[in-house]
Amino acid sequence: MAKEPTFAQQLERLEEIVRRLESQELDLDEALKLFEEGVEGLRVMRERLSSAEAIVKQVLRTEDLDQ
Amino acid sequence: MGFELDLFVAASAEGAWTVAEVTRRARAVVEAGLPPLWVRGEVSGFKRWRSGHWYFALRDGTAQLRCVMFARDNLRLPTAPVDGMQVFVFGRPTVWEEKGEFRLTVLELLSTEGGGLWQLAFEKAKAALVRAGLLDPARKRRLPAYAQRIAVITSADAAALRDIVAVVARRWPLAELLVLPTRVQGEGAVAELCAAFRLLGRVRGLDVAIVGRGGGSKEDLGAFNNERVARAVAAAPVPVISAVGHETDVTLCDLVADFRASTPSAAAAAATPDREEVLDHVAHLGARLGRGVASRVDRGAQRLERTLDRLRGMMALRLERHRHQLASTSGRLDALSPLKILERGYSLARDARGRVLRRVTQFPAGLAFRLRVSDGEVSARVPES
Repeated sequence: MAKEPTFAQQLERLEEIVRRLESQELDLDEALKLFEEGVEGLRVMRERLSSAEAIVKQVLRTEDLDQ
Repeated sequence: MGFELDLFVAASAEGAWTVAEVTRRARAVVEAGLPPLWVRGEVSGFKRWRSGHWYFALRDGTAQLRCVMFARDNLRLPTAPVDGMQVFVFGRPTVWEEKGEFRLTVLELLSTEGGGLWQLAFEKAKAALVRAGLLDPARKRRLPAYAQRIAVITSADAAALRDIVAVVARRWPLAELLVLPTRVQGEGAVAELCAAFRLLGRVRGLDVAIVGRGGGSKEDLGAFNNERVARAVAAAPVPVISAVGHETDVTLCDLVADFRASTPSAAAAAATPDREEVLDHVAHLGARLGRGVASRVDRGAQRLERTLDRLRGMMALRLERHRHQLASTSGRLDALSPLKILERGYSLARDARGRVLRRVTQFPAGLAFRLRVSDGEVSARVPES
């Protein structure tokens, strides 16, 4: 199972995409591909940011950690 | 009066007492005559036995008093006194029969100085942590910018926990809070806190941990001044935010932690970004993304334009070259033209049907023919004879 990237990783990736798009040395194809990835990243991040409630979980035993 | 009678009997050798009888009697006399009392003096010759019992003497300028403080009594104290320390002790004067020694069984011991033993224990533990390099500012880890999993070590029913949950829910609801409930004071608090910190190593994807006290301001912070707890904080696999001490009362746990917060709410705020700010940042990135690709596409269009220009230029150049070639070819063609030859004075004879007449035999007498010269034709005829 692929591990979902953390919010920090997603944000970092988006920042990298923007930096590369703003730099000069990209061919158009690549630029469009990056743009698509960036738009998708934006969508996922907005979605995550709109989640309603923090999850609170009590850890009483080590078994509680295994998930 | 009974004592006097006994002493009288012992005055002759026949009535000699055993050692045990004398010491037992001495003990009875001392314990009856001297009730438990407070004594002030300077600690000297302090020794801790393997059994956990403490042995020392109390001195002043002229006398000394042997003291013992049993493990069950000294366990409550934060640390042992050191030689030279001025203390108050509360104890029962007695005679230790096996050694025939007059001594004080100490039940309570207080330093005469302000912070007393707690202060001493704090300084000792702090010195040990300094020696271990655990208070080095360079050890402080940076807090995560976008924490996803936050461990909270505090008592489960405390106001501190409610405050932390409320702040995280408002600022950064993406986060998952893992609460590790522990006692934070009294019996077992030290062991539970240490165990909770050890447990952190088993939490997957943990970003940061918050340790908080129970709530009230007059709480006993002893557990957070315990050296073992401080070392457990230092050994935590993620940065630790301590919201334990009071403003005037910094604990060892605060000193060792990567970040010290004044309240549990402040700790929660330090552990999380503000969602609104992050949304702004993301929106800004979105705008830059759009502009970035637009300008890239624009640059592409411009380049295409430039390429077309160059292509056109090249085509024009090539056409020009062709045209030039054509001119020179036609020049050469021109040079080969028979008209040029005619210009040089030659002429061309053709009969009425246009055939070129090349030989004398083609010119019979009386033949009419046409002569082509450089600027036109003239009619001609071969004479009749």
